Amino acid sequence: MTSLRWFKQLADYLGGSVDTAPPGVSLQLTSSAWAIWWGALALLIVLFCGQASKFIYIDF
Amino acid sequence: MIFTTFSYFLFLIPTALLFRLSGPRLRPWICVASGVAFFVYFSVTELAGWIGAACVAIFVWESLISRLYTPGSRWCVFGVAASVSILVAFKYWNFLTGLVTTPAGINRWAWRGAFLPLGISFFTFEFVHYAIDRYKGRVDRGTLGEYLAFIFFFPTLVAGPIKRFQYFLANIREPSRDWPRDWHRGVTRILVGLAKKFAVADLLTSLTVHLNAADVAQATRPALLLWLLAYGGQIYFDFSAYSDIAIGSGRLFGLSIPENFDWPYARTNITEFWRRWHRSLTTWLMDYVFIPLGGSRARPARVYANVMATMLVSGLWHGAGLNFLVWGAWHGSLLVIHRMWREWQGARLAQAPTAVGRLSSWAVTFATVTLGWAFFAMDLSTAALYFRQLIFG
Repeated sequence: MTSLRWFKQLADYLGGSVDTAPPGVSLQLTSSAWAIWWGALALLIVLFCGQASKFIYIDF
Repeated sequence: MIFTTFSYFLFLIPTALLFRLSGPRLRPWICVASGVAFFVYFSVTELAGWIGAACVAIFVWESLISRLYTPGSRWCVFGVAASVSILVAFKYWNFLTGLVTTPAGINRWAWRGAFLPLGISFFTFEFVHYAIDRYKGRVDRGTLGEYLAFIFFFPTLVAGPIKRFQYFLANIREPSRDWPRDWHRGVTRILVGLAKKFAVADLLTSLTVHLNAADVAQATRPALLLWLLAYGGQIYFDFSAYSDIAIGSGRLFGLSIPENFDWPYARTNITEFWRRWHRSLTTWLMDYVFIPLGGSRARPARVYANVMATMLVSGLWHGAGLNFLVWGAWHGSLLVIHRMWREWQGARLAQAPTAVGRLSSWAVTFATVTLGWAFFAMDLSTAALYFRQLIFG
């Protein structure tokens, strides 16, 4: 598997859009790595929320 | 109760829990009750007020007429006509009547208090899909509750992804029972969606607000390019974030919602781009516009016309304005040119492309898609000014 394809699969897995991790990555659903990942995402959300722009695709 | 508000999640989580804990007969009605509550609340608080909320009547009408659909029945044709007419009345009335204004530019038939019922562009396409598939006998009728659950499923009610009843029906009858995995993946997807929306899409707004006539008229070339690149990034992150939240929300119910994006900007030709950009819309347009027109099994000239017509419909669906029509024509032209290129290249395309070839193809695809956003982001006169400034400075 090329490194670009591996990276894409990893990003899709971390993004929640695929259920299978790329080869070489084994994360249990209960792994603490997920807590760190969720925490990082939550931090981003808290830091940047409040800009209050609507979604572009909501009937325009 | 928009996706980025706390109240949405206060609504989503108990509803999803209730859905999963309920029996098969109750499940559709939980989707219906929550969908009605969502539609009314959202319409009253964020859109057209109680008049907007009254548009729930469109769903009541659809639920009644859809019960008459049988394979080959004229009711299906009537249903399609009724759904499209409702969409035209709400979304295109002022646009269409504005095309025949008086010399003074006054639209005598203008609807002054015009508003759009929540999600009308999306639910109309689901109504039309069901009517056509029932006509062709490609879909089970489903019970009234199941069909209402399909059209009222609130995570996809506002802006898709555009669902298909066949898959939704199978899903709602047998939702996934793998609670830990569904909630884990669903929550991850929702968090990623929110992060994309807040930390990327909204941040890019500081650049894209400049895409207006006054700013464009005074901008330098690098600024113009930066703003349009930012718009391309914003629209992708914004809509894919929305789709992430919708799909993640569906996952909490144990339901699988169609995907909308698969790295579209990484694609090396325009056809691949459209297979990965707003996929639920693209497949809808393929099935209900392109193929009925004759698809690709015709003379080349006819196929090109079919492609162009499909993309013009796509453009108009995105917005009631000439700029959206031009945006559709732009993409239609790109798709036609790509088809011509493939036909001209023939067997040579079977050879694996070189790295330089792939990079060049990607650059051309990305550049043409990005330039096309000018017609999406700005009205026609501002877009014309944008290109004038970009070319002549």
